[in-house]
Amino acid sequence: MVEIRGVSKSFQKTVKDNTAEVRALTDVNLSIRENEFISIIGPSGCGKTTLLKIIDGLIPHDSGQILINGKRISAPGPDRAVVFQTFALLPWRTVLANVEFSLELRRVAKEERTSIARNYLKRVGLEDFELHYPHELSGGMQQRAGLARALAVNPLILLMDEPFGSVDAQTRQLLQEELLELWQREQKTVIFITHSMDEAVYLSDRVVVMTPRPGRVAEILDVPLARPRIADDVRRDPKFVDLTNYIWDSLKKAMENGH
Amino acid sequence: MNSQFRINVISIVTLAILWEIAGRTLEWVLIPPLSQIASAWLRLLVSGKLLSNLVMSLGTLAAGFFLAVILGIIVGLLMGRFREVEHFLDLYINALMSAPMTAFVPVLILWFGLGVESRIAVVFLFAVFVIIINTMTGVKQVDRSFLEMARSFGAKETEIFFKIILPAAMPAIMAGVRLGMGRAVKGMVTAEMLLTLTGIGAMIMQYGSAFATDALFAVILTILIVAMITMKLVQVVDQRLTGWKLEIAIE
Repeated sequence: MVEIRGVSKSFQKTVKDNTAEVRALTDVNLSIRENEFISIIGPSGCGKTTLLKIIDGLIPHDSGQILINGKRISAPGPDRAVVFQTFALLPWRTVLANVEFSLELRRVAKEERTSIARNYLKRVGLEDFELHYPHELSGGMQQRAGLARALAVNPLILLMDEPFGSVDAQTRQLLQEELLELWQREQKTVIFITHSMDEAVYLSDRVVVMTPRPGRVAEILDVPLARPRIADDVRRDPKFVDLTNYIWDSLKKAMENGH
Repeated sequence: MNSQFRINVISIVTLAILWEIAGRTLEWVLIPPLSQIASAWLRLLVSGKLLSNLVMSLGTLAAGFFLAVILGIIVGLLMGRFREVEHFLDLYINALMSAPMTAFVPVLILWFGLGVESRIAVVFLFAVFVIIINTMTGVKQVDRSFLEMARSFGAKETEIFFKIILPAAMPAIMAGVRLGMGRAVKGMVTAEMLLTLTGIGAMIMQYGSAFATDALFAVILTILIVAMITMKLVQVVDQRLTGWKLEIAIE
């Protein structure tokens, strides 16, 4: 469904008068199945967020290609929606109006978009907060709104950029469980960027380990845990423990080889 | 009423009492007692002189300020949005922002003559630069993640401008408008005193040179009240537009 073939990306970085080329990604290959939940994990600066932005079409790539259902993409499209690490909620809009924003841009009529937005706010448990402003909500609730905004446009692929990276640990676990529940009901492909091994293993069907800059796919690992996954049970499962340990080793190895 | 309002009232009453005492014990011409000023104010009000001059002044203020807001916001938006426009203009804007506008009065007389156009030009020049700079800063400080989010959901450039940049910059724009309002009032009085003796400014000059201090203070007090009311008006508009955020002011 999503084919990433030989994607590379370099940035021009200018410090004072010196312009240097920084290779962010080099020859990334990955194919993602329909309705798969896949996590991409790697050390900071390995280009995983860059990869996500390229898949979204926000930034161009230098070489290679990205195919979604066989079609090459080069710009954002209605088949994809992003959940941002910084939430990116507009502070002058209420929660409801924030969720409507994505629908507004897609020219959905006023009444229809309100009812769609309400529906998704309900699914993320924010139905009583639709007239609140983002700053009146906790980080976890803000990200629920961000998730509702992305789901509201009914994308095939949900791109999540370290979505729970800036909430506290308990909220994070709660959000992970809610996300899994939603995903099981909504049937979407999820590409999830994280630097938490625990999070990657708990959520995903497969975990992609990336090398440090320039980012490459180091390893792709299947997660042999049955679904639905009950968080407390899963984390005690020896397979879970083994796999997180294995990923940790793999990351360490990749970092040693990289530098 | 809230405690802020109570303290405001106490402050005003205290000042009034001290003033009255000072006026009665010290030289009358230098500090006329407040009661004297009040009766002078009443006299000016009844004669219609204060009101007719005030209307004239406020007309100038409104025209100059209106132009400054419209042009200031447009130029500020362009400068914030396009680096080329910014670098083309920022030298002058920054210089003019802190230059004493009074120095330009003789030039304005040459250009616009001694009529109302000159006075409007002074008000405009006093107010416009702070509005430009605040608007520009507001546009440049728009959170990049909002732009990225909008693009990701398929926003076109015009949608990004109207749905993201403009509302995000609104608190800074309104801060500029508020500061501009204060400067516009200064411009109005300056123009009327230095350019052509009209309106409130003329009254100040007239009573000042005649040592009619009670009437002079009555006029000054009127200006303070006008300044306060206009600021309050801007604040009300601001509150309606940007109630979601505390303002940032750059001056």
